[in-house]
Parts: sequence; structure tokens; C-alpha cells
Amino acid sequence: MGQFPQLIQEDIDTIDAAMGELLDKSEANVALLVEKAGYLIHQRGSQESLDATTFATLGSNAYNAVQFMAQLVNESNFTSMYQQGERYSTLMVNVDENALLVIVFPTHLTVGSMKYYAAPAAKIIGERIQFASARAPGTGFDLADLDPTDVAELFQKK
Amino acid sequence: MAIINQATKELQVKIVYYGPAKSGKTTNLEQVHKNVQVPETTTKSKLTSLATSSDRTLFFDFFPLEAVAIRGFKTKFALFTVPGQVIYNATRQIVLRGVDGIVFVADSQYDKMEENVETFKHLEENLKALNLKIEDIPIVMQYNKRDLPDAAPLEYMDFVLNNRAVQVPSFEAAAASCTGVFETLNMITRMLLHKFLSDSARK
Repeated sequence: MGQFPQLIQEDIDTIDAAMGELLDKSEANVALLVEKAGYLIHQRGSQESLDATTFATLGSNAYNAVQFMAQLVNESNFTSMYQQGERYSTLMVNVDENALLVIVFPTHLTVGSMKYYAAPAAKIIGERIQFASARAPGTGFDLADLDPTDVAELFQKK
Repeated sequence: MAIINQATKELQVKIVYYGPAKSGKTTNLEQVHKNVQVPETTTKSKLTSLATSSDRTLFFDFFPLEAVAIRGFKTKFALFTVPGQVIYNATRQIVLRGVDGIVFVADSQYDKMEENVETFKHLEENLKALNLKIEDIPIVMQYNKRDLPDAAPLEYMDFVLNNRAVQVPSFEAAAASCTGVFETLNMITRMLLHKFLSDSARK
């Protein structure tokens, strides 16, 4: 399992444009790029009262659970996951081994059209992640001057 | 593994509270959620629990916690628990995906010692299944329920659960009264920052 690369502004711009085009064409409400450990990487669109961080975590774990189910029936991969609601539905589409795209859309739109528009977006995003991985910006987080004793008690009790 | 987003200047880190059933993993997260001081500029996130009707963890609990900026990076710690019951072992493995640090919450009661040991073995196996080595991941032991009358002595807990070549930090706790909860959390976050520090120095 490779590691999700560090993204720089150019990567985010490319990803944001792909997700923006997905929302424009599909008329979906929200698109989230989620790392499969549960991290929200990028959000495009918004929806009232949506806690995107929690939504991303729940989405990734649900998706991972379905992948586990796939293994149990000797299916190598379930590449998407759809949940139909009364007002909103969600579609989760695999981007690569580390990321997935979570889309929230009104139920009057069809899952077929979502899949149709999500596929090219996922491809562009996947390619950009691959590009970022090849750039290997693993050395970009410079903690050289950090004294961990300064942050010994990051969290204080009230 | 931790996510570093240079564009948004964010560092995201995943900590999993692991341990046998009813050892106090969810209680730890509840106490952190209830008692943690958050900066005025930050809104405290919700604690999400996917539990059964009898309040046993079914999938996981999740609490995202934002810390002060470290060298300009907004640091977000995602705290998770796993279900303690053995029947949910597959779920535990799913939650462990991408873990950066582990808090092993052991139940100090004598009659829970076998469960503690079994659960630690499962942890090692689950990490192995994810191609992770337990020695590569910062771990803190929390000996919980020290307030109960039949709690085993600390030396015994260490002998049973923390008796490897390299001992990990351990804390006494009574999570129900928030004793030891923040000490444990601060130690695992400190160890994680140490790890990032040494990793970045190596590169």
C-alpha cells in the first residue's frame, strides 16, 4: 500500500478544477476527495449542515468495509458504492488505492449520470495524485527546528 | 499514514484507541471530547459513535481534534476507537488502516488479563495484515480502571503487556473520572511528533 503524496497548490488546483467540472455537469451538491484512512483531502461544493470531516471518515470506512466484503466473495474490487436516500443520495467512486471520491446529489438525478461524470473526474484526480507521488515531495515537511517538549501538552483539560 | 497537505498547510494524523471489550476506549474519547480546551477560534467537532442499541461500539467512534499550529501547519488529530468484541475483528482491521499511533487501553482487573493479552496479539496480527510492523508505530499503554478494587499491580500489568525489548510508555488511568486520559493523549501526540521529527531528519 503506497502512501498518499504531499499535495502542493498546483495539485489542489487541478483536483479542484476536476471536481468543479464534475459538479457543474452533473448538478451534484458536493464532491469530497477522501483518503481511505478517513482523511478529507479536498471539498468542492457545499451543503447546509454537512460536517464534511465526519462525512469523509464515515464514507471511507464504509467503502473499506465493502472492499472487505468483496474479498470474502473473491471479488477483486468493488469500484463504487451507491446509497439511495429520499432527498439525497451518495456515490463513492474509487480513485486509486489510496483515495476515493464521495459525491452527494439530489435523488432526482440518476446514479448512472453521476457515474458517467464521476469517471473522468476520478481519472484526472488519480493521474494528478500519481504525478504528485512521482514528484516525491516527501521531504517538504521540515520539522528540523521543532522541539517536541514545546508541544508536550498539546491538549489541556478544562 | 499521516497526510501532509502543503497547499492547505495541514498535517493530519490518525490515532486509534485499541483494547479489549469494555476496557474504556469509548470513555477515553468521551472524556477528551467533554473536557478538552479548544482555542476560541476553533469550533469543537462532534464525537461520532457507531454503536449498537446497547451502546457497544459496532464500528468505531471518531473525534477530530485540532491542535495549535506547529511550524505553520494546522495539525489535526483524528481519534478513533475500534470495537472491543472479537466478532468485530474485521472491523478493527478496517479502522486500523493508515494508523499513525496507537493507545492500547487495557483493563486492569485481574480477570481481564487474558483478554488484554489476546487483544494485543490480535492487534499485532491486524497490523501485519496491513503490512505494518508494531515496532514502527508509536504505542502508549493505558492501564485503565485503576480505581477498581481488583486492579492488578502496575508491575504485573507491565510484565504481562509491556515486556518486550523496547518498553512503551504506560499510564495509570480511571477514564470514567478522566484520570490519566489527557496524560495518555499528550504522550501519544508527543511521540508522533518525535517520529515525524526523526523521519524528516532522515530524509
